Amino acid sequence: MGPHIVSAFDSDLQLLNRKIAEMGGLAEEQLSSALKAIAQRDVELAAEVVKGDKKLDEMEMEIEEAAIRTLALRQPVATDLRDTVAALKVASTLERIGDLSKSIARVADILSQHRPLLVVAPVVRMGRQVLGQLSEVLDAYTSRDTPLAVSVWRRDVEVDVTYNSLFREILTYMMEDPRTIGVCSQLMFVAKNLERIGDHSTFIAEMTYYIVEGEQLGDDRPKGDPIDADIAVDMPD
Amino acid sequence: MTVAEDLGGDAPAETGAVARIPSASARTAPELKMTARSCDVFYGDNHAIKNVDVDILDNTVTAFIGPSGCGKSTFLRCLNRMNDTIDICRVTGELTLDGEDIYDAKVDPVQLRARVGMVFQKPNPFPKSIYDNVAYGPRIHGLVRNKADLDDVVEQSLRRASLWGEVSDRLDQPGTGLSGGQQQRLCIARAIATAPEVLLMDEPCSALDPIATARVEELIHELRENYSIVIVTHSMQQAARVSQKTAFFHLGHLVEYDDTTKIFTNPHDKRTQDYITGRIG
Repeated sequence: MGPHIVSAFDSDLQLLNRKIAEMGGLAEEQLSSALKAIAQRDVELAAEVVKGDKKLDEMEMEIEEAAIRTLALRQPVATDLRDTVAALKVASTLERIGDLSKSIARVADILSQHRPLLVVAPVVRMGRQVLGQLSEVLDAYTSRDTPLAVSVWRRDVEVDVTYNSLFREILTYMMEDPRTIGVCSQLMFVAKNLERIGDHSTFIAEMTYYIVEGEQLGDDRPKGDPIDADIAVDMPD
Repeated sequence: MTVAEDLGGDAPAETGAVARIPSASARTAPELKMTARSCDVFYGDNHAIKNVDVDILDNTVTAFIGPSGCGKSTFLRCLNRMNDTIDICRVTGELTLDGEDIYDAKVDPVQLRARVGMVFQKPNPFPKSIYDNVAYGPRIHGLVRNKADLDDVVEQSLRRASLWGEVSDRLDQPGTGLSGGQQQRLCIARAIATAPEVLLMDEPCSALDPIATARVEELIHELRENYSIVIVTHSMQQAARVSQKTAFFHLGHLVEYDDTTKIFTNPHDKRTQDYITGRIG
């Protein structure tokens, strides 16, 4: 697509996209550090993640201001309008991903006060899977690559499957050694937060599709089975 | 007490032009009001409009947008045969109003223009009083039977054009003495005094300030209840605000015609996209 006749309009849109790319990079880094913090029981790194979340909050506000200014001054239509609205929504999605990463990092404190647990490894593995999804979807968003976005969107079902099996694994761990119930329930929150980040990544995929195609991606995303209600039945007497 | 009762005679339904306006309640799915099929317009050797097909719906505002010289005004003027006055202009193809060919030899262009009214870019009131400006059409078309009916038509037309409150105490003053925005609303009152079925507006707000523009836009919104309106505008925001259907013209071609929402959120054609987003095509 050609440049705008008013070149300042192009600069405005480019600025928005650059800021989103920057914020996306930071959100990836936050998640990656949070995972490292729980894997290595690194309290200092966890504290850095908690501190770093403020930067994401600031960036969200900057993008919001820039987008609102563009809406007010340029009255964008068609693809420009979709670009601007998507930037607003993606910025707030990235901010939420940041919040979830912060919660994950905080669990490192609890883990560090406990003897090392084998079950942390599969949680971190799930985290890497989610991080991969997030990186890919951010690439898709930046390059407006619809096929890549749709592929990430479809693969979220794999994250759901991992989450369900991880849930069972942690539960088994708790049943085997009730002393780990406290710390394991924290790990369950971590798994849940990772699953939420996966969902947010699919939202960014949907926004990518919306910008390029001008239509919503639809509601028929493949989803994993809900966690079975029969789990409680397996509990020993 | 209405004028009719005052005269002790006519039933309100027969009071003339204004009473013929169909009620707004008839609005369900808009019906086809005018159509153009394979329409071509030539100014001498210049092929100004190329094979245009378009439907103008009843109770709908249709906006024609496009860069200068794209033919949107030329095409608008075909809809009430205003191009007849230009010697070198030749119109081919089929244009209908309620299914009847408007270029048929039997059609009187003057009668046609009473049914398809027009408002121009520059306010052009006659050098007559405010009253006479509005009364002119109903008089020459013989739409009223007596002075009381005429008074009624003038008042109602001015009210509909939301000008009555500003001029009711000086109807005998010259129309040219009004402000630009008032003059344009006077021209709209004059255009609707003959109770047209279709109202063509060629950039009606380009000479007006934002407040007068907002008034005219509000008026267009109200008039849609009773008329089919076609508006040519250079302001894309205006097209987006007032119309339900938008047609994009480019180099004499009708590039895209669709719901206004669709045109402004997700246009189909790249040329439309480039134009509405302000890109170099």
